[in-house]
Amino acid sequence: MEIYFAQLLNGLVYGMLLFLTAAGLSLIFGLMNVVSLAHGSFFMLGAYIALSVTRQTQNFWLALLIAPALTVAIGLVMERVFMRPLYRRGHLDQVLLTFGFTFVFFDAVRWIWGSDIRKLAAPEALQGSVEIAGGMFSTYRLFLLALGAGLALILWLVMERSRLGAMVRAGVDDSAMAAGLGANIPALFTGVFGAGVALAALGGVAAGPVLGLYPGMDGDILIPSFIVIVIGGMGSLRGAFVGSLLVGIADAFGKAYVPALSMFLIYLLMAFFLLVRPQGLFGIKGGVAPAGMVVAVGMAFNRPQLARMLSLVALLVLAAFPLFVADYHRTLVSEIFVFAIFAMSLDLILGYTGLPSFGHAGFFGLGAYVVIVLGSLFGLNGWLGLLVAIPITALAAAVIGFFCVRTSGITFLMLTLAFSQLLYSIAFKWRDVTGGSDGIGIAGRPTLFGWSLDDPLALYYMTFFFFVLCYLGLRRLIASPLGHSFVGVRENESRMRAIGYATGEYKLLAFTIGGTLAGFSGGLYALFNGFVSPEALHWSASGDVLIMAMLGGAGTLVGPVIGAAVFLLMKNLVSSWNDHWMMIIGVVFIACVMFFPGGIWGMLRDRLARARA
Amino acid sequence: MSVLRLENLCRSFGSLVVTHNVNLAIPAGERHVVIGPNGAGKTSLINQIGGQLRPSAGRILLDEVDITGWAPERILRSGIARTFQKNNLFFNLSVLENLRLAVQARRASGFSVLRPAASHADILARAHAVLAQVRIDADAGRLVRNLSYGEQRQLEVGMALAGDPSVLLLDEPTSGMSPAETVGMIDLVRSLPAHLSIVMIEHDMNVVFSLADRITVLYYGEVLATGTPAEIQANERVREIYLGAKH
Amino acid sequence: MLEIDRIDTFHGESHILRGVSFDVAEGEVVCLLGRNGAGKTTTLMSIMGYLVPRSGAMRLRGRSIAGLPSHQIARAGVGFVPQERGIFPSLTVRENLTVFARTTPGARWTLDRIYQVFPRLRERERNLGFQLSGGEQQMLSIARALMLNPDLLLLDEPSEGLAPMIVNEIVEVMRGLKKEGLAILLVEQNLHTALAVADRHHVVNKGEIMFTGTSAELEADESVKSRYLAV
Repeated sequence: MEIYFAQLLNGLVYGMLLFLTAAGLSLIFGLMNVVSLAHGSFFMLGAYIALSVTRQTQNFWLALLIAPALTVAIGLVMERVFMRPLYRRGHLDQVLLTFGFTFVFFDAVRWIWGSDIRKLAAPEALQGSVEIAGGMFSTYRLFLLALGAGLALILWLVMERSRLGAMVRAGVDDSAMAAGLGANIPALFTGVFGAGVALAALGGVAAGPVLGLYPGMDGDILIPSFIVIVIGGMGSLRGAFVGSLLVGIADAFGKAYVPALSMFLIYLLMAFFLLVRPQGLFGIKGGVAPAGMVVAVGMAFNRPQLARMLSLVALLVLAAFPLFVADYHRTLVSEIFVFAIFAMSLDLILGYTGLPSFGHAGFFGLGAYVVIVLGSLFGLNGWLGLLVAIPITALAAAVIGFFCVRTSGITFLMLTLAFSQLLYSIAFKWRDVTGGSDGIGIAGRPTLFGWSLDDPLALYYMTFFFFVLCYLGLRRLIASPLGHSFVGVRENESRMRAIGYATGEYKLLAFTIGGTLAGFSGGLYALFNGFVSPEALHWSASGDVLIMAMLGGAGTLVGPVIGAAVFLLMKNLVSSWNDHWMMIIGVVFIACVMFFPGGIWGMLRDRLARARA
Repeated sequence: MSVLRLENLCRSFGSLVVTHNVNLAIPAGERHVVIGPNGAGKTSLINQIGGQLRPSAGRILLDEVDITGWAPERILRSGIARTFQKNNLFFNLSVLENLRLAVQARRASGFSVLRPAASHADILARAHAVLAQVRIDADAGRLVRNLSYGEQRQLEVGMALAGDPSVLLLDEPTSGMSPAETVGMIDLVRSLPAHLSIVMIEHDMNVVFSLADRITVLYYGEVLATGTPAEIQANERVREIYLGAKH
Repeated sequence: MLEIDRIDTFHGESHILRGVSFDVAEGEVVCLLGRNGAGKTTTLMSIMGYLVPRSGAMRLRGRSIAGLPSHQIARAGVGFVPQERGIFPSLTVRENLTVFARTTPGARWTLDRIYQVFPRLRERERNLGFQLSGGEQQMLSIARALMLNPDLLLLDEPSEGLAPMIVNEIVEVMRGLKKEGLAILLVEQNLHTALAVADRHHVVNKGEIMFTGTSAELEADESVKSRYLAV
């Protein structure tokens, strides 16, 4: 009995912390239609700033005031300077912009405070424990419970009882009408964004003594907060509250009684709600607004002669390149080839068909695991493993796609994320087969006609060959009537249906082809790397490949290749002389989203076209 | 015999009834115009025939086959094509691309991946034929968003014609057009094959009386009157609705 | 009060308003008449700043309002009642009225006065916006615009989709507002509603004003009525 009670209390405490982040996330989404991936970063920033403040002043309460205030200042700069110019663009651009900021904040935290796990000291007055119903509970946890409940109450009062709250609700209902009655909507946006950041930062400070501080705590609070608002309904405060407690309690009981399944539990909960009640428990926005995808516009249907010449030159250069450079560079470019295939496969789904997948690493990782696990457990040859990986990832993509393509926009994004995290949890938990968090490796690489892939030169030509093969194959697909139909779905789905296309089938087909190709690139990665860990399936890996595709230019084939190259070169070259490649890539990415929505390739092509005209 | 028949068609959203017991029979080759004040349920009616909206009750028959509740793409493939009140095109693709997508939708080669789309001569020929039919003189390679509004409106009709339908639904084909463009659209619709049945929503009375064989007046979701243009013009109730009730 | 001078407004690429000009004087009720798609609502959207005309000028009390954001136009003294009424569904009737109200002491319109004129709204005070009937929504939308204490009221087809009895009530409300000296720009399809309230009429067709005149002149002009309004 006491044990149940203790778990319940733990669940409630965690639920309150989730509520503080989820409430802001949900309000921001409700009013501005922006899913802010940086919201977890504010949670983290709040905690770290509080760490510095308590060190200086030894006063937790002061930190509880100062840290959120400073974090809000940072958040407001982000909203006014960076997000505001993007409100007229699609949701995906804003999601990506905030994703770029997660890199910057993550690296800033590592830079300033280091990577070690820290702990914020609870104030002395709250360091004891209290006996309730025969069990001992830390006073601080009870304080958290009271704090969360108190803030929820205040928030509810403000939203439901004050004129300001009525203005926000009016704005959520119909922002154009509110503007027509004199509401300054941009100012309201800023206010709500600031309040959301304050809540998240406050949550971060409050969580400090319980959950600890580490770079990466941003994602660890963000993903469950997402799940909370998906379950509770976007834009609904009540939904965020009920959802938080539900997820908090499910998580606490899961960890206590079914530890093997604890990570699945909340993802399954989310997938269940998305399918059964996509608008959430208390959702006020009927479904989720379709993400007005802004992808690179136009397609290169009739490639001019010049482009053909250039591709030929590039091909020759790439073929000759490894003969003149060191092994290090050969390996680096091989890796680029593998990730270029991965990024192109995402682009088929994202850029050409217009489906914003945020879980593409799931298929990549699955392909890699198939090759490595079969190799290490059954001694299966890597080439055969690669052959087996194709049908397995195709099947996985078809099944996952079957559920996902029934949704669109942000819901699609969340659902793909949930499925990939489900795969991540399996890899993480199924230690006997996958080696859990340690990952798993194979002893040797297979040979290429008697030439061992352990030789970087052989590895280079092998990945080069498959890269060219995939590139040509995709190019053919995209130029075909089927490829044009994918673009039609992206451009205008209702029109596609009205001229006789069963668009669901086309979306599923594109998703399955893209997923299979991602699995294939994952298999190649396994051969290349000889080792795989759950990181390969993690949501941040899905974010990385999204960056590659968008950075280079989604909706083109060359774009993702350029994006993969730039991303990996930065990661490898910058990290060799400077530790802050994440910061740099984050900044580059933010600039790219803001100023070159067509990506590097899109910009180059526009320039070229203008120069020619 | 009628090509398209609506039997006691009803549709409501909660307590709001947008279509109430609508009966309509369109013989082959008829130009039938639906008129009525704002909110009379005209577009809802077209949406039900096109499959975008599911009727609450009643039946829709195409050549005596019950197509009620079919998915839009299936209805299209059985021979009913439609245009939209607001241009609903692939604005970032070229004129030819737009028509090519519309043409290949009904052909097996639509799933082909072996040859580039541009080399499917049959599709291309049909696309060019439709282009001529809807009188777009502009370069077929131009992006649709760079066409004039009137040309986009014409392409909207072309997209529906591409699949060679037996029934064409036109939702306010002249809305937003200049007077000169409107005259062009009247000519265009007149030039369509005589065997094609057309159901058209229109507000411009000039257009209505230039094209209609018969007219149906909708009012609060119900058919107030159906008849020849002369009959409708003489109808007292119709006049009353259009000028409003006396206070 | 309001001067609209040769504005051209586009919806994407489609040219909706073609050189529309008219004005509304202090205390005057002016009506824009025309069929569906004639450009009446677009005119109101242009005045409210939801659409920005590509050319032409718009002045409110001599001050240019072209290009201003909607909230500044509202605060400059324009009360907007849109065609779909725009009631906030998750706010109560009372909240709908007060949320953006501009009722300084001594203002003409206060909550009490609104409740006197629209007793039905007092009864429904605690109901949420989405629980109202069409007529009640229309009343609320007008009342909400009055709570801004505007100098000019924009009404977009207030009688549309309402039962004749309710339409009569709305006409009475408009007549009352006119008597108080409030300037009103009314958009109508219904000729009789327009004649019952307005002083001057502009008949719009395909984005152009085809006729301008008083109620008597409009009533006498059979050709305008049959060409642009009747069947």
